[in-house]
Amino acid sequence: MSGCNRFEEATRREDPGAWRAFLAHASGCADCREELAAWEATSHAAPSLKKSWDSPNLWPRIEAAITAQPSDTPVSSFREHRRLTWVPLAAAAALFVIAAVGLQVLGPTVTTPLTTRSMKDPLLEESALSEVEKSERAYVDSIGRLSRLAEPRLSQSDSPLFVSYREKITLIDSAIGDLRAQVEQNRYNTHLRRELLAVYREKQHTLEQVVREAKS
Amino acid sequence: MKIAAVSENRLFFFGPAKGGNLEGESRSPSEDADEKALRERCGSGDISAFEELYRTHGARMKSLAANLLGSRTDAEDAVQETFLKIYRGASSFRGAAKLSTWTYRILVNTCLDQRRRKGRAPDLTASGQADEPEAEVRSPAADHPLRMDLEASLASLEEKHRTVFLLFEVEGFTHREVGEIVGVPEGKSRTLLFESKRELQRLLRRRGIAGETRA
Repeated sequence: MSGCNRFEEATRREDPGAWRAFLAHASGCADCREELAAWEATSHAAPSLKKSWDSPNLWPRIEAAITAQPSDTPVSSFREHRRLTWVPLAAAAALFVIAAVGLQVLGPTVTTPLTTRSMKDPLLEESALSEVEKSERAYVDSIGRLSRLAEPRLSQSDSPLFVSYREKITLIDSAIGDLRAQVEQNRYNTHLRRELLAVYREKQHTLEQVVREAKS
Repeated sequence: MKIAAVSENRLFFFGPAKGGNLEGESRSPSEDADEKALRERCGSGDISAFEELYRTHGARMKSLAANLLGSRTDAEDAVQETFLKIYRGASSFRGAAKLSTWTYRILVNTCLDQRRRKGRAPDLTASGQADEPEAEVRSPAADHPLRMDLEASLASLEEKHRTVFLLFEVEGFTHREVGEIVGVPEGKSRTLLFESKRELQRLLRRRGIAGETRA
């Protein structure tokens, strides 16, 4: 390891200024130059991991699989259990639609102080934002706990029901990712925050179902 | 933010990726319109739209999946499964993210799910090679002396770190894109990349490599 700790310091601080200062320092410090070279070597080597091969049959295979099923129908990969497995996915889709419509139509009539204030002003105030973030953290904590309980069954079971739960959770996670990315850009947007809470609620509910199914 | 780096105009984890090209500052309005049109066509179940998506992203999807799963066959299965999931969900896709970002997110989740089901990490450590296909696997980048050790070390990283490293360093996504794909804020993507590189350094050192090999 290097005797000089400037490299460690500079890389710990996500600060371009600190990095520039480190580069200036490294030009005169052999230890840091070596650290830097090793660090850069990883990035230089990384593109060589890219894989490329011809798969002339892959698209035809995908096309055949796609055309073998109706669009936007929650079909399990286990066709013989289709009757069972579409239920959670359809429920998820329905809940998303209900949540979205509900937020648009009923949102302004909700009477909690937070939402009333929010609807008057589409941007959250600091105190309201802090309340919303507190709620989000509570959901995230609860989801984390439920995920730990549900994970063994979700990851190990190949039953059609659990496969469909996995797919549903994948879709919910996609929605959470979308919304969190948008919220990142606009923390004060009431609608985004409420949508995010609705999706968190849906994930929590789904995980509770998984835990219940796992116990039964 | 783009800041000139030591020798290659790239400031390790602060700067943008080598070739992020899904979206971001460089996207033109016509690209956005194309994406929107493609999304609508996918939503209406137009198979040719899915084919276009495959033509545009298929190669990169296979590469990412092969690195996540360690096998060409599994990678192709994951790509196929991803397209089926997109097809099933396309009409309800709300468009908060780009269709392309959503596609990669589903792919990553599908790969991780597939691996959990199989209960294994990519088997790269034994031979230093992934399950190389019968047909030639080519790396577009010139082979690098660190490649095999890097590949083996990468297999030891935690799932999220490995995924972020592959997306940013290997596939060239920007941190913004990586964040959207992995479901973390952009800043967290930077942190995960930094942590993954530091762990790789440690693993490579253990193999007596880092610091000796320069690009």
